[in-house]
Amino acid sequence: MKIPVTLQLVIITLALTGFYTMVGQAVPQKEVHPPEVIEIPTTISTAEMVEIGKSIFEGKGLCSTCHTIGKSGALRFPDLAGIAERAATRKPGYTALDYLAESLYEPDAYVVPGFNPGMPVINKPPVGLTDQEILTVIAYLESLGGEPTVTMETKLVYTGGSREGEAGGDEAAEAVAE
Amino acid sequence: MKRKPGVLLIGLGVLAFVATMIGAFRLAVTFDQRLAFHPPISERGEAEEWTPRQEALEQQRQEEEEAARTKPYEEEEYRAFPKVGSRVAIWVVAQLHLLFAAFVLAVPMFAVVIEWIGIRTGDKRYDALAYEFTKLLSVSFSLTATFGAGLTFMLIALYPKFTNYLMHVFSPTFLPYVLLFFAEAGFLYTYYYGWGKFSPKVHLFLGIMLNVVGTGIMVIANAWLTFMMTPNGVSESGALISTWDAVSNYTWMPINIHRLIANVAYGGSVAAAYAAYQFLQAKNDAERAHYDWMGYIGNFVAICGLLPLPFAGYWLASEIYAFSQTMGLTMMGGAFSWLFIIQAVLIGNLFLFANWYLWLGMGRIQGAERFRAFIWPLLTIITICFAIWATPRSIIATTEEVQAMGGSSHPVLGYLGVMSAKNTAVNILILTTYVSFLLYRRSGKIPTVKWAKTGNLAQAIIFALSAATVIGYGIAGYRVDAATRIGFSRPQVGAVLLAMLLVTVIDVLMLRGAKTTDTRWGKIRPLSQYLLIMLAVTFTWLMGLMGYLRSGLRLHWHVFGVVRDTSPDAFTPTLGFATQVVSVTVLIFFGLIGFVFWLAGLSGKESHAGEEAAAHAAHPSPVGFDPSPAGATPMSSAGGSAPAASAATSSRIETS
Repeated sequence: MKIPVTLQLVIITLALTGFYTMVGQAVPQKEVHPPEVIEIPTTISTAEMVEIGKSIFEGKGLCSTCHTIGKSGALRFPDLAGIAERAATRKPGYTALDYLAESLYEPDAYVVPGFNPGMPVINKPPVGLTDQEILTVIAYLESLGGEPTVTMETKLVYTGGSREGEAGGDEAAEAVAE
Repeated sequence: MKRKPGVLLIGLGVLAFVATMIGAFRLAVTFDQRLAFHPPISERGEAEEWTPRQEALEQQRQEEEEAARTKPYEEEEYRAFPKVGSRVAIWVVAQLHLLFAAFVLAVPMFAVVIEWIGIRTGDKRYDALAYEFTKLLSVSFSLTATFGAGLTFMLIALYPKFTNYLMHVFSPTFLPYVLLFFAEAGFLYTYYYGWGKFSPKVHLFLGIMLNVVGTGIMVIANAWLTFMMTPNGVSESGALISTWDAVSNYTWMPINIHRLIANVAYGGSVAAAYAAYQFLQAKNDAERAHYDWMGYIGNFVAICGLLPLPFAGYWLASEIYAFSQTMGLTMMGGAFSWLFIIQAVLIGNLFLFANWYLWLGMGRIQGAERFRAFIWPLLTIITICFAIWATPRSIIATTEEVQAMGGSSHPVLGYLGVMSAKNTAVNILILTTYVSFLLYRRSGKIPTVKWAKTGNLAQAIIFALSAATVIGYGIAGYRVDAATRIGFSRPQVGAVLLAMLLVTVIDVLMLRGAKTTDTRWGKIRPLSQYLLIMLAVTFTWLMGLMGYLRSGLRLHWHVFGVVRDTSPDAFTPTLGFATQVVSVTVLIFFGLIGFVFWLAGLSGKESHAGEEAAAHAAHPSPVGFDPSPAGATPMSSAGGSAPAASAATSSRIETS
């Protein structure tokens, strides 16, 4: 029996479309939902901040889209394992906290050699973390290779405070003058 | 007389439609009457008192009326579409609009070029071919406009607040858009219905203007959609600062170029599918020869568009990264990274089908046997490149398998899943397909220039150097930092483009005055025509998939970073769901384009034989243009070129 040409073409179209649909079902399936609003009490401890910061790092903050932790080789963006230790040495006069805060609020102010600029300003859309959420992310980053010092009371230079390094520098200068 | 069944079918279709409408109306009236409230015993007289229920209902009605009167006006943010939801409804309609629009924009481009070749050579067959392509436009244009209107009304109805915002930003572009649309309708119908009625130059001018206004429409519409992706010219709160800045956002020009090229590739493939459909239904060798030639040219146009498309894609991707690294990383390394594995399967298939079609096409050319030995090596290279491109960085594996591999990447194959390997594979794939084209082009020609051997050697060296450059940078990409590695794609692309350019120039010069052999149009295996259909389906499916990617990259934003999507559909669906929607859209499209093919076929077949015979009578000798790969090259002394061979086939059949 000869199948009419039109029917043949319908079968081919259906088969090929079906095949591509099957390929689509074979890859990992993941729904991406908008970030949820995270209520952060002002009374939480630094250890609790680290936990919340980690969840923001992996979720709402989209940090893990680009940054890895504990990977080496040809990376597109800096690996963050041991960042607390390195952060204190990145810029003269900056403490680890100063550097991490600047990296989040003004990411293009310092770009690690060998990498391209491109990190978004974290407190602006599309990421748009709040100042409290950023504090928890800093707590988490400080925990990577160091001891977190930040609390929910910490004032950063971007939230009405001053740089720790500058304060320390001033104190040192005063001490020398005395 | 042969058209009677078609006319009868149309008449029956109209009658069936009217009968269905009347039936549906009567059914609705009947249901309405049945479902209406009826008093249990008899109708309530004026003197009768209201039952407590009736009183309560009346009171409720009055309260609702009062509440509606006192309620202040509030703009609705979203409205729901039944069953499938607003997003899927908009998705399908927008995609169908884009598919038809791409076809309507693409066909005039190559129709005008073919018509121009016909005018320049005086060969009527090119004119007839251009007209046959244009025949597909009329109904397609109506369908494009219908889906466009549907999309606009649905956006206003389902996403009123967001649509209002887009109007706030882009209202100055609406009037030029509408005027261009009217102009396009005018040029299209004058171009189509004025075929043979105007002087050739005037008619060609109409065709060129059709392309100009069509491209203008696309460029304006592209501004709206690219603004949603990479907004510019507005404040952080969304207030308009500059309409021109909103138009000329990061991805506007890359999308303009990418779409222009992709439309050509896609339009060529759909037109080739039409020819394949007609070829498979052809009643005689003359028809087969004609539609074989038409399919070949459609496919040639499609592949000419396909080859530079990845380069336009690079530019678009780099602009996305320049706008937002987060968006770029979401595309390539985040939620959509696996989409590129599906894309690799599709593009791999496109290259495979296209090459296969060319190899089958060699069967119709005398003297092509000497190139048969190249097919297996070419197929091997294409298969390897395809496999590398489709290799994922992370493998779906069980926990035990992940532990055994020491991570989600395979210890060996994982190296093929990174961009260094994939860039190398796609560039070699393009180069290999170009070699196939070159072999096909040279199948029916024997160079007569003295430096032919040197020319061949130079071409081989250029190919080898190009491939070595691509592979060399690919390997070096594993050993350098990210910033340097990203920059390597430029010399890779440059090496391929330069090789294609140099080899083409050498080939054109070398084949001047070449001896040609006979091309037996129509003498090709039917499998080749199924490949043309599969190419069209794959192109269409790929357009649907990449449309989903471009739109999906905005994640939970209507306008990325400016206007947030707060509807129930704000999440990004799974790739599995997306592919299902794409497939449904593709099937609807092919159902409709089948209707367009059928309509176009109704008016073409009877006149075709006459045109072919008349054209043959007018051009008994070989004509001056070669529609084989590498373009319409002047070949004043070359014999047996495509249309002439087509006619030769016809005449052979007639005399036999």
